[in-house]
Amino acid sequence: MVSPSPIEFREPDSATNTETRLISDVLAKDRKATAEFVSRCTDWIYPFVRRRLVPRTELVEDLMQEILLAAWQALPGFRAEADLRSWVLGIARHKLEDYYRKRIREYELAEESDPEVDLAVMPILEQQIDSAAQQEQVQKTLSALPEPYALVLLWRYRDEKSAREMAELTGKTEKAIERLLARARENFRRRWKNA
Amino acid sequence: MPDMEREFRSLLAESGEAEPAPSSLKARLYSMLVHKQQKSGPLASLDASLAAGHGICVFEKLVQISPVGERAKSPFFCEVCHARVLAEHFDHPPIFWDHCPYVKFQES
Repeated sequence: MVSPSPIEFREPDSATNTETRLISDVLAKDRKATAEFVSRCTDWIYPFVRRRLVPRTELVEDLMQEILLAAWQALPGFRAEADLRSWVLGIARHKLEDYYRKRIREYELAEESDPEVDLAVMPILEQQIDSAAQQEQVQKTLSALPEPYALVLLWRYRDEKSAREMAELTGKTEKAIERLLARARENFRRRWKNA
Repeated sequence: MPDMEREFRSLLAESGEAEPAPSSLKARLYSMLVHKQQKSGPLASLDASLAAGHGICVFEKLVQISPVGERAKSPFFCEVCHARVLAEHFDHPPIFWDHCPYVKFQES
């Protein structure tokens, strides 16, 4: 008769096990594991990046290459207690912020002498439409905006960055960011009406 | 002012179904990453892939059973395969081999 083992082993979480195994195989440069890694990461990153690069969606692939490479290079430092998806999305967020920072910084330099926006003539978003149609119109309107306007709106309202944070990240004053946001909102409203 | 903030936050909030990544994009990203991996040394051999429990495609199998050394089983054979070329350019290419990563990208 076999006596029961005095030590009870807890089964590790199978999803964590699978991820740990996948990462170790990718680091060993196994081509099949690398394909699985690329497939998973792309599914996570693609919608995140695409929705934040409107209107420059042609840049999605370049940025995704950068993110995947950065993730692969940082993989030896990945700790199993973290969730791979959140970790990869964190890298994507940093890369996107780098891009936003660069584009907004460049644009503001060129726009400093623009006239102030007349807030009194801004139309309002009074249309009531269903959610799917609204999303389509949002994408359409963002796509029609000059890129820095779209980016600053996405950064502020989709990623919830404050004007102060954006100012710190771009090296601009908070007032300059507020002015850029005001122009972006005004442009968005005008184009929304015509979309 | 707070109403305007709320209005924009609600309009620009992330919603709706996420658009799936095109398989041709996955294919190009995969080829790019494997090329980068190769720059820092040979890939794991096909024997190692099999031992790790991964399947290999029919063309890789031919190489894997050949009486050649480990090193000859390490190159990225997809480099010369038409499945890769088709998959990198089309989202639904006519390729059907088992264990081909470029075929799997279409299924995911």
